[in-house]
Amino acid sequence: MKLGRLVPEAVLTAVLLAAPFVLVHVGFSYDLLERILDWGLIGLGFDLLFGAAGLLSFGQAAFYGTGGFVAAWLLVGHHLASVWLALAAGTLAAGLVGLGVGALAVRRIGIYFTMITLAFCEMGFFLENSPLSAYTGGENGLPGVPVPQLGPWRLTSGLPIYWLLAVLFLAGFVLARRIRHSPFGAVLAAIKGNAARAGQAGHSVPGYKLAVFVIAALYAGLAGGLLGVIQSYMPPDAFSLDTSGQLVVQTIIGGVGTLIGPMVGATVWLWLRDNLQMIPHVGALWKLILGLIFVVLVVALKRGIAGELRHLFTHRRRAAAEAGVPEESTDGAPMPLAAPDLPLRAPLVATRADAPALRAIGVSKFYGGLHAVEDVSFQVRPGAIHAVIGPNGAGKSTLFKMLSEEIAPTAGRVELFGRPITGLGVTRATQLGIGKSNQLNQLFLDLSVTENIRLAALARARGRFRTDLWRGADSIPAVERQVALATATVGLTHRAAVPVQVLPYGEKRRLEIGIALATGANVLLLDEPLAGMSPAERVATRALVREIARGRTVLIVEHDMDAIFELAECITVLYEGRKLAEGTPEEIQRNQAVQDAYLGGLHEHEPA
Amino acid sequence: MSTSLLEVEAINSFYGDSHILFDVSLTVGRNEVVALLGRNGAGKTTTLRSIMGLVTPRSGSIRLDGRAISGLPPFEIARLGLQLVPEERAIFGQLTVEENLRLAALTAPQAWTLDRIYEFFPRLRERRRSGGRQLSGGEQQMLAIARALIRDAQVILLDEPFEGLAPLIVRDLVRISRDLAAQGRTILVVEQNVVAALSFADRVYVLNNGHVAWEGTPAALRGDPALMKAHLGV
Amino acid sequence: MPSTALLLSQAFNGLALGTLLALVASGLTIILGTLGVLNFAHGALFMLGAYAMYVVMAHTGSWLLGLLAGGVFMLVVGVALERVLVRLFYQRPHEDQILVTFGAGIVIVEAVRAYFGGNTKSVPTPSWGQGIVRLGFLFYPTYRLELIGIVAALLFALYLVLYRTSIGLVVRAGIEDARMVGVLGINVRRAFLAVFALGVLAAGAAGMLYAPIVSVQPDMGGSFLVEAFVVIVIGGLGSYPGAVVGGLIAGEIVSLTSAFNTAYSEVMLYAVMALLLVLRPQGLFGSEGRV
Repeated sequence: MKLGRLVPEAVLTAVLLAAPFVLVHVGFSYDLLERILDWGLIGLGFDLLFGAAGLLSFGQAAFYGTGGFVAAWLLVGHHLASVWLALAAGTLAAGLVGLGVGALAVRRIGIYFTMITLAFCEMGFFLENSPLSAYTGGENGLPGVPVPQLGPWRLTSGLPIYWLLAVLFLAGFVLARRIRHSPFGAVLAAIKGNAARAGQAGHSVPGYKLAVFVIAALYAGLAGGLLGVIQSYMPPDAFSLDTSGQLVVQTIIGGVGTLIGPMVGATVWLWLRDNLQMIPHVGALWKLILGLIFVVLVVALKRGIAGELRHLFTHRRRAAAEAGVPEESTDGAPMPLAAPDLPLRAPLVATRADAPALRAIGVSKFYGGLHAVEDVSFQVRPGAIHAVIGPNGAGKSTLFKMLSEEIAPTAGRVELFGRPITGLGVTRATQLGIGKSNQLNQLFLDLSVTENIRLAALARARGRFRTDLWRGADSIPAVERQVALATATVGLTHRAAVPVQVLPYGEKRRLEIGIALATGANVLLLDEPLAGMSPAERVATRALVREIARGRTVLIVEHDMDAIFELAECITVLYEGRKLAEGTPEEIQRNQAVQDAYLGGLHEHEPA
Repeated sequence: MSTSLLEVEAINSFYGDSHILFDVSLTVGRNEVVALLGRNGAGKTTTLRSIMGLVTPRSGSIRLDGRAISGLPPFEIARLGLQLVPEERAIFGQLTVEENLRLAALTAPQAWTLDRIYEFFPRLRERRRSGGRQLSGGEQQMLAIARALIRDAQVILLDEPFEGLAPLIVRDLVRISRDLAAQGRTILVVEQNVVAALSFADRVYVLNNGHVAWEGTPAALRGDPALMKAHLGV
Repeated sequence: MPSTALLLSQAFNGLALGTLLALVASGLTIILGTLGVLNFAHGALFMLGAYAMYVVMAHTGSWLLGLLAGGVFMLVVGVALERVLVRLFYQRPHEDQILVTFGAGIVIVEAVRAYFGGNTKSVPTPSWGQGIVRLGFLFYPTYRLELIGIVAALLFALYLVLYRTSIGLVVRAGIEDARMVGVLGINVRRAFLAVFALGVLAAGAAGMLYAPIVSVQPDMGGSFLVEAFVVIVIGGLGSYPGAVVGGLIAGEIVSLTSAFNTAYSEVMLYAVMALLLVLRPQGLFGSEGRV
């Protein structure tokens, strides 16, 4: 690990060391600093959940309260003597509750996810207040939480407890930052950017969502336990909705996605509360003003305090990087050909040369009464470029989605190198070695070209799910070789560090193929790879398709007939959901039924 | 071309940053039926969506009866008398047939009565209490066209009206389209079913990869198999 | 086992709570269904309605005037909120919509607290609602009983607006496909404004009607917001019938559970929601595939 990468950790350490000696002069008591760090600790987990993975939870108070009350109950009721063990037990309990709530919540997305977390938070509040009040003290909370003992020292309130919080926050920050930069964190960023493509690339999206949900719950649980320790008292409002809401506000004001943002926001919130409350007329207004600032930040898409600071430091560097990139020449893209074989490939390969790489057997898809695809069977020879064509509404895209297991067929099955893959879902199918580039680009727009392609390569190297939280995302040599080769194959090496959203359309289209390629697929489905390209780009991309077909099987849907006739060795024609014809380009061009289908003439020949 | 009711001049349209239409120009005269043909992905639907204001062209102009309409929101363009009948038909499935029609008539200055619509489409009268979701494909297409008619639209943009329909239904709809044309309604129709489209069009444009590749009469197109094959066939 | 009288009385309480939740949730659900925005400020708007009733009652003593003036006030607030804030967010991600309405809720709550103070205000029961009524062997507060009727009438009025008027036609079509509504010549943005104002009115009306029987204070909306969420999760997102039926079910769950064990009344509501999420995630009236 390069030392330069440790700058944030070094700065944070210095701030934490200086804070109790400097900030006490501007209205920060030790108690205030401790509470700020406690909020910051929940915030680290919340920022992984919301900032990194894009999951907006209003339920963090449930885990904060769980951790706090489990630890406090164990200590106050003398079930455990060690504060450390009690904190660990509280953290673990919060993680378990997080696992249960998360299992229900991550099944849904967007507003549903947020509502469910909020509802479970409220459920926790009511549980704590009535049925469990014998354990939690109900509305009274639990007083008398002891302070921890560290060897010969009792960590009494004031500076000793501050140092405990500072050390734990620093450790929590180091871990959270490692997670963000780990392969695990890279998948989270991908889920935030485009969850469907992350799953299509071979990552178990529900698995990662649940994992980060539990991680956030663990952070909240530890912070909850520490709250009791700081105050010698576990307050019942830890469970309240306001706690969840306050965390969200602090995170937005401090800067979402910066890890320290929630702590910075807590600094603002708690300082204002402690110092303005005494002043007449202003005391009641500080929350109103913070509310207005919050709304303005959301409306104006501002990054919050820490976010704007980071932007100031990184902006100039990034602008320089983008300025140094040569613009693509408009008369045909530079296309280094000769795709070398990728180091990471899918496990399934052809066992016999005459066995089909991909086989559809009686595949059908009905939507109510609409027969989108009906009883289509065909097979693709290993190493072939095989095309599927047909007029609009013939069912080509539906067929492709069934082959890649994005949708389940109503009837029939699909085999990849003789192995049935029907019903596995797109993530498992990708892991077995079927890759797809989509008709409409499905890219991670906020990430760089390298990060986009790396995401696919990571799925091949790591499997569907893995919690490698400590290593760097770019530290796996085979993955980096795969990324470099796949990037070079689609001709984007000169753009490697550029955020994808600034790429011109033709390059985005090639990146779409590059992602599918980097999954290490042995069978590639290309859905209209030439769509929307200029004539020069079409020429280059045709060459690219031919190149990547060396060493893998390619199935292609395309409207550019010239391209199809030049590339494909076999063509399957769909018409109104059924297979109309199959054969070599010459046979298809001579086929009268196919001509009629394209011109709509079939209807005229049928008896009325 | 002062007689043209609809004039599209050198428009360039994009989806996101994907360039779909390249300097597409076309005109539709009053009482004229114009067919817009081309393969999948040629830009036919995008042309209609650009005219309706669902896609705003980055350059070029669109005029309806001499008035510039590009850049206006779809609801204002609709109020000027131009009506898209979209490819997916976009029937409101939770609304009944009659509610679909009443909704369409809400903002039309000279809406037809429901009775007049039902005379034109007797089948819709029978189905008027049915939910849009319960209609067959052909009935949905009739309702989609009826929604344009009840607004008394000057120009109707028909996007693939025959797609996915059984031959008998297509024959019915071709007859309806001919009736509309005979009544002097102005129609711009996009269709993959070239044979059906040519049977009632006065003039034809062929699009290829977002460019206008050919313009002429149905007879000229039918008489040129090489042209048909190059731009429309396989 | 609780007595029949207690069960019956709790069933009535459930009806009162259920109609209230139905009214709050129906406002939430038509905004969500049409505009795609989950309005986190809904609880604050409920509270604002209660304060509107408090102010008018304190000055004039007239319940009817309170309802009318409060209704107009809530419509103005709804229009202002849509024009100034919500309108900017139709194209933004759901998370941003949630954040901004959540923030608006904070601002409303804190503005009320700054102006009226944090103390509980009490709103008098109107003269015709005082006393208790004897229903067979059961005594029931008059206003609560009348309330069930009034809210049922409001829900029916909302039904008429949604299912029997042009604006309702536009709203129901807009829930399905707002773009196509625009293609048919209708200014969808204006329809959106009307829907938002109507939804805000529903929340405010609930606040106004319930002001006499709940303690009016700035934070009163928070728990109603969450319960309204539960209602629309039960009933199905964006479904008006779902909001009404879900509201009644939720009200009865809370009330009847408390006849057996008060401690579990709210907990049971969330437990039922969790169960439904596992067995029927789209809710009772929701369609598959809606997020």
